[in-house]
Amino acid sequence: MKTDQQARPDGRGLRQSMSDLHTWVGLLLGWVLYAMFLTGTVSYFKDELSQWMRPELPAQSGVPDQAVVAQRVADELVTLVPGSPQWSLRLPDARNNSVYAFWRTAGAAPGQRGFGEGNFDPATGQTVSSRATLGGDFFYRFHFQFHYMPVVWGRWIAGIAAMFMLVAIVSGVITHKKIFVDFFTFRWGKGQRSWLDAHNALSVFGLPFHAMITYTGLVTLMALYMPWGQQAGIKTAADRQQLNAELSAFIQPGKPSGEAAPLASIEEMVRHAQERWGRDGVGRVTATHPGDAAARVAVARGDGGRVSMSPQYLEFEGTTGKLLAVHEGVGAAAETRGVLYALHLGRFSDSVTRWLYFLVSLAGTAMVGTGLVMWTVKRRQKLPDPARPHIGFHVVERLNIASIAGLSVAMAAFLWANRLLPETLADRANWEIHSFFIVWALTLLHGVLRPAKKAWVEQLWLAAALLALLPVLNAATTHRPFWRSLAEGDWVFIGMDLMCWALAALHAVLAVRTLRHQPKTRAARKPARETVNKPAGGAVLREG
Amino acid sequence: MIHLSSFILCLTGFAALAFAMDRPQHDLFGRSLPAPATVALRVGGAASLLGALGLLVTWQGWGLGLVMFSGHTSLGAGLVHGALIVQGRRAARPN
Repeated sequence: MKTDQQARPDGRGLRQSMSDLHTWVGLLLGWVLYAMFLTGTVSYFKDELSQWMRPELPAQSGVPDQAVVAQRVADELVTLVPGSPQWSLRLPDARNNSVYAFWRTAGAAPGQRGFGEGNFDPATGQTVSSRATLGGDFFYRFHFQFHYMPVVWGRWIAGIAAMFMLVAIVSGVITHKKIFVDFFTFRWGKGQRSWLDAHNALSVFGLPFHAMITYTGLVTLMALYMPWGQQAGIKTAADRQQLNAELSAFIQPGKPSGEAAPLASIEEMVRHAQERWGRDGVGRVTATHPGDAAARVAVARGDGGRVSMSPQYLEFEGTTGKLLAVHEGVGAAAETRGVLYALHLGRFSDSVTRWLYFLVSLAGTAMVGTGLVMWTVKRRQKLPDPARPHIGFHVVERLNIASIAGLSVAMAAFLWANRLLPETLADRANWEIHSFFIVWALTLLHGVLRPAKKAWVEQLWLAAALLALLPVLNAATTHRPFWRSLAEGDWVFIGMDLMCWALAALHAVLAVRTLRHQPKTRAARKPARETVNKPAGGAVLREG
Repeated sequence: MIHLSSFILCLTGFAALAFAMDRPQHDLFGRSLPAPATVALRVGGAASLLGALGLLVTWQGWGLGLVMFSGHTSLGAGLVHGALIVQGRRAARPN
């Protein structure tokens, strides 16, 4: 957003054009981008969040033997979904304490849901009885397809927003002419300058990440946004099958023989894979037509430690357990996609790298947030009457409140709903999500009705309070309070409680700073007492 | 352990690069450092960053190594920046 002081007087320089582009591209979908960034950031811990949201599942002290667990759940599925043409298990690993299973239902009538899903206890193989919740997957799915709309619409909106982000990044780099000279520059207490310095620091330090995450985000859904190459190149069913094999380890069900035959030992098949990829290296087991003579089983490698989402799997004949094929490599184009996809999701990360992803992504969220707020900071100084801003300013200011402070409140409320909604409530998992949106809508209403500065402060305090008290609520409503987690070394729950307190502190600091803030330009002209109650929304860092 | 060593190398690397810049030199020392010192800081800083990259790539290969390096550099630079701001605030505060 830096203006070029040396712009040629006779024409608009490139930098000025880029600055304008950056401003407007950043603003137009900035609120959507902020929500995508923040929910995406917390999604790096979606598995831990899911564990926290299902407190009935005991903490996992070590990864159980995946081969034994796979056999257990496969046996359970024989009785639970007999005749299913396909099922797939995500085995427990260092970050998942349950087995997630997905299956197609036999003979589903047209219009009926043709699939089912469930979480299973690795120790018993039985369905786990935990509260109904989408867990961390809600933020993850919201991050790229939103909610209350067809999935495809959501993904298109996410794609357009990501494209805007990419344009904003490129134009921002061109606009910011002194990246290296100003690398460590921060001018405290200089109003708009301070905001610009903060925005620049947040952008530049994480620039490799911001550019990567935006670009790879587009790549994850490229087949939706630009399907034409694929349509032109892939015409026959055999081609399509080949394409699927390069993109995922989900083997497609062929034709059943009609002859009943039980599955051979799944445990042996997973053992085979463990020899190849290590004890905890198996990710998923998929079976097609289990119980039929034509059954096939694919045992796929997990995501840990390899920067590629390209599928690697062993394919077995279901009834004999004979190894039919080893898929360990894909073509160059598919591998390029696999690497870019993996970079976005970061599932290969060890815990340190995961924290790095989280922190730099949080900086990206703050980059979008400071950009949005800066739009109002920059324009407030030029308003003829700050008490009665024009409609555009008003809209941006109020949307900023609800989309920045309000989102924190709503996300915390979602976690509160997880602990407070009765377990017997019909459609409970969805009511957690409705709670999130109801609270978010209320923050918008609050932001519109209250003076801007008060709205900021109140919502930031509310978010701080909700976050700070969440561990207390957890202690009161579950058997896993902080002290017990600490005694048992349950790092998922310890981490969650500590993170809530850290984020509560962050929101409290922002609230105090906003409360103390007085716009400098106005204060210089009027007695301080008059300016105290002036709306000064948008200022989260102290300018004066 | 490699993570910690790489992170410390990134942190010291960026600290050295910051001290090699004019504005932080004035803020911290009240004057510009002599040219050879600035050059030494610059070279030392760059070497430190390259050292971190070398460690990570040797440990995890180019793919994962580069990803980790990018994370450590972002965090290291951010912390050095934060420390400079805190130092600047302390210096500005009248005793």
